[in-house]
Amino acid sequence: MDILIPDNWLREFLKTKASPEDLQRCLSLCGPSVERIREGKTGPVYNRVAKAKRIANYNVVYSIEVTTNRVDSASVYGIAKEAAAILPRFKFPARLEIPTPATVKPEADTLPLDISTNPKLTKRVMAVVLQVTNAPSPDWLKNRLEDSGIRSLGSLIDITNYVMLETGHPTHVFDYDRIKTHKLIFRESIPGEKLTTLDKKTFKLPGGDIVIDDGTGEIVDLPGIMGTENSVVNKNTRRIIFFVDNTSPARIRQTSMSLGVRTQAASMNERGVDPELGMTAILRGIQLYKELANGKVVSKIHDIYPNPYKPKKITISEEFIEERLGIKIPAKEVTTILCSLGFGITLQPTTHNLTVQIPSYRALDVSIPEDIVEEIARIYGYHNIPSTLMSGPLPNQPTDSTFNFETKLKNTLKALDGTEVYTSSLVSKNLSSLPVLKGQTLQTPLKLKNPLGKEGEYLRMSLAPSVVRAVEDNKREKGPFHLFEISNTYLPKTEDLPEEKLMLAGVFANYDYRKAKGVVEQLLKEMRVAVIWQAKDQEGYETGRSLAVKSDKKVLGYFGYLNSGHLYYEFSVRELKKCAKDIPNLHPIPKNPPQVEDVNLITPHGVYLAEVIEEIKKVDKQITKVGLADVYEDTKTLRISYSDPEKTLTNSEVEEIRKKILKTLKEKLQISLK
Amino acid sequence: MDQKLHNLKTQAWAQINSADSVAELEQLRINYLGRNGELNKIAEDLKNLDSNQKALVGRIFNDTKNALENLILEKIQEIRGEEKKGWFDPTVPGIEPILGNLHLVTQAIEEISGIFQKIGFVRVRYPEVEWDWFAFEALNMPKDHPARDEWETFFVDHPEDKKYGKMVLTPHTSSGQPREMQRVKVPPIRMINIAKCYRRQSDNTHVPMFHQFEGLVIDKGINITHLKGTIDFFAKQFYGEKAVSRIRPFHFMFTEPSFEVDFSCVHCDGKGCRFCKSGWHEVGGAGMVHPNVLKAGGIDPTEYSGFAFGWGVERAQLLKPGIEIDDLRTLYSTDLRHLRQF
Repeated sequence: MDILIPDNWLREFLKTKASPEDLQRCLSLCGPSVERIREGKTGPVYNRVAKAKRIANYNVVYSIEVTTNRVDSASVYGIAKEAAAILPRFKFPARLEIPTPATVKPEADTLPLDISTNPKLTKRVMAVVLQVTNAPSPDWLKNRLEDSGIRSLGSLIDITNYVMLETGHPTHVFDYDRIKTHKLIFRESIPGEKLTTLDKKTFKLPGGDIVIDDGTGEIVDLPGIMGTENSVVNKNTRRIIFFVDNTSPARIRQTSMSLGVRTQAASMNERGVDPELGMTAILRGIQLYKELANGKVVSKIHDIYPNPYKPKKITISEEFIEERLGIKIPAKEVTTILCSLGFGITLQPTTHNLTVQIPSYRALDVSIPEDIVEEIARIYGYHNIPSTLMSGPLPNQPTDSTFNFETKLKNTLKALDGTEVYTSSLVSKNLSSLPVLKGQTLQTPLKLKNPLGKEGEYLRMSLAPSVVRAVEDNKREKGPFHLFEISNTYLPKTEDLPEEKLMLAGVFANYDYRKAKGVVEQLLKEMRVAVIWQAKDQEGYETGRSLAVKSDKKVLGYFGYLNSGHLYYEFSVRELKKCAKDIPNLHPIPKNPPQVEDVNLITPHGVYLAEVIEEIKKVDKQITKVGLADVYEDTKTLRISYSDPEKTLTNSEVEEIRKKILKTLKEKLQISLK
Repeated sequence: MDQKLHNLKTQAWAQINSADSVAELEQLRINYLGRNGELNKIAEDLKNLDSNQKALVGRIFNDTKNALENLILEKIQEIRGEEKKGWFDPTVPGIEPILGNLHLVTQAIEEISGIFQKIGFVRVRYPEVEWDWFAFEALNMPKDHPARDEWETFFVDHPEDKKYGKMVLTPHTSSGQPREMQRVKVPPIRMINIAKCYRRQSDNTHVPMFHQFEGLVIDKGINITHLKGTIDFFAKQFYGEKAVSRIRPFHFMFTEPSFEVDFSCVHCDGKGCRFCKSGWHEVGGAGMVHPNVLKAGGIDPTEYSGFAFGWGVERAQLLKPGIEIDDLRTLYSTDLRHLRQF
């Protein structure tokens, strides 16, 4: 949570000569992070500051990130406390001066006010009735509020915000006379109950929300989150209830989240505000109502606080601190650091253990010895702790991972003109898989409950639609190009997480079929995967124009024209890796040159050239290579190499083999030479 | 007859191609094309053919002869090529072989995993679609805890698991921490988990799908100095010798203490410039593993301690000089004009 703190407000309680930049640097290194310093509103400086002319008036505002565990520092007091502990470590003397407000006695007849609650709903509730004049706030207060990001709404409301920003405890104000019963009863809401908040929005409550009832069944407040329209102060208000409630953080969060009402009060309250602060807040409020709204206290200070804070203690050993920090900090320095943050310290004389007493405002955040280590370390300064690499044994590297294989795939594809894309795993329904034929149903992809839009509602089961779309995005490109991606697909399972199947997929655009196939062939060769290409129809591909790529009868992937006309391939990365040889098979270089000859033949339609080549290879082991040298219409020129490791083949030996080839082709495939 | 010619051609072809001196080629010319060469011997037989056949075989004969002559000539020129003199323009533009491109994110991931492998880290990848337990609960973030707000989580429409709760898209690679502890069981652990993560956010600096890299080290006696050492090692390897890192206090539920990690700006060596303003860039979080997280992962926190960090791959990469992208979403554009610059 980001808060805005005007410098002149901070310096009211923090006496230091450190400049805003020093403050930013030091606080950010050891405490809350000061993200930015920006200029504040000009205007009269609060009188008390003006009087204390000893310090400079910096007209700046700090934007500070307060972490979720440190709601205690989300206030002017809170930041002042942190700064007072941190600045001296950087040789900037700093003193904390938070005045203790005087106790208050009623100035007139006490007005009745009846509050009832129970400890399950609230930790502490405080209230006081004041007689007031509703006037606009003075400029200095308006400016401070506006510098802190809150709009001025007249002194009666402004004071509640001012007290919250200054002390860190949210407060509230009711019009005493609009609550005719003078009763405030905390209770849980009934499902469906309605209320209208002070910004005139009506909500139906889910039930179990903490509300305040005036005794008639009417809801007069949504405590800790926002006031309601029916009890809020207005221009006619003459008597107010100044109200400080410490309501169950979990319930506040639940209600605030489900209604979507996210006020600063709610985000502070849901993190657990220190109930001990309640008294500070109510006294500071009374003081301000007296000063700015002619306030007269006309009731006692109600205080329902059945279980006051009992200080928690944590014992920690010097060894533990050293173990976690990696360095030894002398006990004396540890004590100084912890004391500067308000912790109480007792050193056990025999064991040298430290017993640390936790102040109420840190009760929620500090609960284990590691938390104490953090406090010591950050104030000591993380920048003062050395850096070393760990020694010790190395873990075993698992051998079944595909990372190196993926790297090699990608590098090879790059060398083969492949350009890698990253497309989103989150897609619209029609891009979640390849379209299927009518009448067939495909597994339904996993759907998100809270997608950012229809475009990203489903987890894809195929990369094809995404990569095809990437190609379509490049329509202007006239030359050949090849896009590929290696990503997971998500195949749903009924009672488990989906199978995350890592796929390699690619599309060739403006590519000649043979060149594209050659790229894939080359890729497989480089990966040392021996495959068989088998013409086979499958879902999503044009009939008669696709291939299954197999190794030992297992399908590794597909290649061919999709129904959309795109030339596409895909492989399961894990299956490919299983079939890939890590090391090459080396053969001795033949001593004798091969005999090479070209053979022209005409293959009838329906006969696959792959089959022809396979058949030729099977004829004789002295046939070492069969390649396609040329294609002219139906005429294919095959280049055949013959060789023998032991000798140079004679012409008559080659002739013998050739005769066998021709015989086989004629008998098995009815093919003859041209 | 034509069969004989065919055989002769095949044989001569092989010999000519494997010759490696001009003298050898001259000898081959004499053997095949000379007055008493092999071809002329066949020519003798031509006379005995009838006129029809003579025309057909005669043509094959001439083709073969021309082909062999040309081949020998080419081969001689090839061997003599190096001796060729005369005017040569070495500035003529080269013919570039075509080369594709690897995505910037892949380049970053490769570099990052390489750096951590040098110091003994094991690269892993864990589910992107994950149970709430791994993504939150095991990381000391109970249900409905306000700390969860920071992880704008996508939920999957799927029945809950009795033990592990809701199905989510993991919003961070930290879900790999309990996974790795369960896999390894007994430390040492040095994990680098690089994977896709998802959050409900999309603007100039956020994309719903992005990548993180998560380090996790668990062993006896692991402390803050080791975390600092590891982060600094990475900074120097990734951003250069002059780069430095620093850690500042922060809060995460799954680490105690927790840190924000900054690297010095590469553009100005940390002096402060237009790009960084303060001299530093915030890259992400880190911390000492919370004892509750160790317990959830089945590791005894009284015996072992550890540290973890998790940063955005894109964020880390974009801090390098030369890679200035105003809108992170353009990193995931599929426009070739972008991709070809990677």
